[in-house]
Amino acid sequence: MLRRVFLSIALLAAVPLPALAQAIAGQPAPSFTLTDLDGRKVALTDLRGKYVVLEWTNPSCPFVEKHYGSGNMQSLQKRFTAEGVHWIVINSTAASHSEYLKPAEQKSWLQKQGAAASIAALDADGTVGRAYGAKTTPHMYVIDPKGLLVYAGAIDDKRSANPADVKTANNYVVQAFAELRAGRPVSAPSTQAYGCTIKYGS
Amino acid sequence: MMTFLDRILLAVALLIAAATASAQPMRVDNAEVELIAAADAVVPGTALAVGLRIRHDPHWHTYWRVPGDSGLPTIINWQLPAGFTAGPVEWPVPKRLPLGPLMNFGYEGDLLLPVQLAVPADVPAGQTVQVKARADWLICKDVCIPGGADLRLSLPVRAAAAPSRHAALFASARAQVPQPAALDGASATIEAGRIRVAFRPASPVQRLEFFPLEEGRIEPAAAQTLRTEADGASLYLTAAAPSAVEFTRLKGVLVANGGPAAGDKGGWAGVIDLPVVTGVVAQVAQAAAAPVAGDGGATAMTLWLALVGAFIGGLFLNLMPCVFPVLSLKLVSLTQHQRAEDAAQLPHASLRAHGGAFAAGVLLCFVLLAALLIGLRGAGEQLGWGFQLQTPWVIAALTLLFFLIGLNLLGAFEFSFGGALASSSAAQRLQGDRLSGSFATGLLAVVVAAPCTAPFMGAALGYAVTQPAPLALTVFAILGVGMAAPYVALTWMPALLKQLPRPGVWMLRFKQVMAFPMFATCVWLLWVLAQQVGIDAVALVLGGLVLAALAAWAFGLVQTGARRWRWVALAAAPLALYAVFAMTWSGAASSAGDLAKVGEAAGWQQWSRPAQEATLASGKPVFIDFTAAWCVTCQANKRLVLGRDSVRDAFARYEVTLLRADWTNRDDEITRELARFNRNGVPLYVLYDRSGATHVLPELLTERIVLDALGRL
Repeated sequence: MLRRVFLSIALLAAVPLPALAQAIAGQPAPSFTLTDLDGRKVALTDLRGKYVVLEWTNPSCPFVEKHYGSGNMQSLQKRFTAEGVHWIVINSTAASHSEYLKPAEQKSWLQKQGAAASIAALDADGTVGRAYGAKTTPHMYVIDPKGLLVYAGAIDDKRSANPADVKTANNYVVQAFAELRAGRPVSAPSTQAYGCTIKYGS
Repeated sequence: MMTFLDRILLAVALLIAAATASAQPMRVDNAEVELIAAADAVVPGTALAVGLRIRHDPHWHTYWRVPGDSGLPTIINWQLPAGFTAGPVEWPVPKRLPLGPLMNFGYEGDLLLPVQLAVPADVPAGQTVQVKARADWLICKDVCIPGGADLRLSLPVRAAAAPSRHAALFASARAQVPQPAALDGASATIEAGRIRVAFRPASPVQRLEFFPLEEGRIEPAAAQTLRTEADGASLYLTAAAPSAVEFTRLKGVLVANGGPAAGDKGGWAGVIDLPVVTGVVAQVAQAAAAPVAGDGGATAMTLWLALVGAFIGGLFLNLMPCVFPVLSLKLVSLTQHQRAEDAAQLPHASLRAHGGAFAAGVLLCFVLLAALLIGLRGAGEQLGWGFQLQTPWVIAALTLLFFLIGLNLLGAFEFSFGGALASSSAAQRLQGDRLSGSFATGLLAVVVAAPCTAPFMGAALGYAVTQPAPLALTVFAILGVGMAAPYVALTWMPALLKQLPRPGVWMLRFKQVMAFPMFATCVWLLWVLAQQVGIDAVALVLGGLVLAALAAWAFGLVQTGARRWRWVALAAAPLALYAVFAMTWSGAASSAGDLAKVGEAAGWQQWSRPAQEATLASGKPVFIDFTAAWCVTCQANKRLVLGRDSVRDAFARYEVTLLRADWTNRDDEITRELARFNRNGVPLYVLYDRSGATHVLPELLTERIVLDALGRL
């Protein structure tokens, strides 16, 4: 706010300044533009008015395998996209890393898995991942229709790579939506994500 | 690489193999695992040291109990004979394992995780005891493979036992297990997400690392900076963003000088568990910190505006009466020179080089100024000065500064520094045509221009003194870029020269007009001061300003040659200083602040933790407005949104208790509360629903946002 104070001197007017885009639950979600796997531009601002889920993924990661192999992720995608939620799958693996997939490869993997995301995109330079502070795959974010980040963190509370744990886990994304639909605030707005490290470029 | 299915099949095959083999090292993916014991037999009624040994392939690692940004800790589930109990895993000191912008804590190489088993007294001798364990881990290089094994160990029961062949391994592993540290004068301080762990070491500490024992407290990848300070060693850490939990204690392991493995070089490790108190923490770890998520401080938007402001400010400097003529003379001479002698050469190349050299000179001068300022500020911080608007004397000093700048702009007096250089003869000397001449012109233009630029530089200084070093440097550099920009543009496009306005009386008028924003700033600063220390103290400061004006006017007369006025100046100046700063030691500040608390509006109560908790306990929603008089955004929100009838009606309808936390003056309780929300500043708007769950509203409120938030209650 000190900055703001002096800026208002510089600008010679008491102008209130917009808040920072930061990946902290309760604050506006950082805006971004991505190119999806088919080459179309997707901007977060175009999705205002809808709930948006961001799912960080990397097909080579056992924790991602856990949720796709068990069908968990696909069923979440189907369920929420059917409810009008925009579900965006993002892979931030750097192009220099051995686990990097080309858009076509990522696309065919998603098809093979029967994924039902609204949008899938690569973020090979890590811009979006870094803006959100995404650390692991999976790492989940929920953005509300006003563009506020309402959940950031793990997919569920069973921190393992064991597909059998999906059944007994408490899914934080499901929980967040249940609370939001009931008109309550998200009770666990941020949790510690678990999974493989995102392979950002240096 | 194997597919995931292959991996599972291999693991299953290995598990089946394991079921038949006993106490043999077992290869699972990229490690060999084994259950081992420190003794060759089980002795009834004693403790038995067993452990999971993991020998990692080169470059592969498993994780510590707190794995960092990703990863999973290794888990051992014991299946023990009746009466046996297993203690916790005794985790040896881990290593920091960086991966890109992220950080993990774990182990490489040969690892032993020891566990104490309690052996019941009634185990009959002569039997063989089977100790079984299911171990699960995550092994990673840059890729990760979850691993697991069912392991077992058979040992005879005897009256006495001898050390096994693994005994030495246990001894060295045990030495690596940190014990509670007995540190002299240990403390943990937090300010705005910066944490300082300090203690007085018994022997010198050259290297120090901290590993958190709880997740979500510190940012794993942030730089950890060790400083040796007057009162001992200090390690600077960065709090996690966002911190999901109330940060009241700091639990973790300190590893000094390479840890116990380097015991001969003064290495040690110890567990600390310290209460976290709010206080002053220097900004040392901040620059290298938080490579993934932005920290809560500098907002991209305000930074951008600051830089644009600096650029425009730099442009303005060129319009100041003593800069403009010098520069236009220089430009004209250069272009004429060009036309006369170098017509045959490349048309503009040399001219452009002059432009570049000039810009370099200007930039260098500004960056040097900023570096000097940052150095001074660093020295000030060492002395414990805080440059914050919550400190009344800083406000008073800024008021005086802006008032004097205003008087100067109106021409009451001149800044005589550099005055000789600014005279026309000095300006003539700058008309050389060599490149070094242009560089020197750039360098000197800043100094020469000081009489006129000082007001603007003063404002920039006031801004920069409250900023982190990289930002302050950047702002000054951009100021320089702004100042050099027109010159460079003109040397690249000399045709534009004709468009330049002539120096004239308009420049003087421009300078004088700029005085009024300065006075407006004074009004605002005094208003803030009134909130902080009350109307009496403000009256004192205003009296001081009158004396300052008298001193400035007399000083101006002295400058024009009326030397006898110097006594007036000399007498009035110290009196002015005394009056302006009197309230800081008069104690007038302490009580007067109540006069104009920001939270006077109807329906609002003063925030305190007990008040908040009492209301929440009664099951009512609570809205907290963290605000301060000097925060422009807060005031805008308060007037345009929170004060609106529709919003007030909605608050009443939902029976929301309204609490206002006024941070106009420094308040540790509020600072702590802000830190809980990972903030180091206001505004912050928090809505607690009936269940006590929090909902943080954006910094810039609209009626819609507040009503929607209330609607969700």
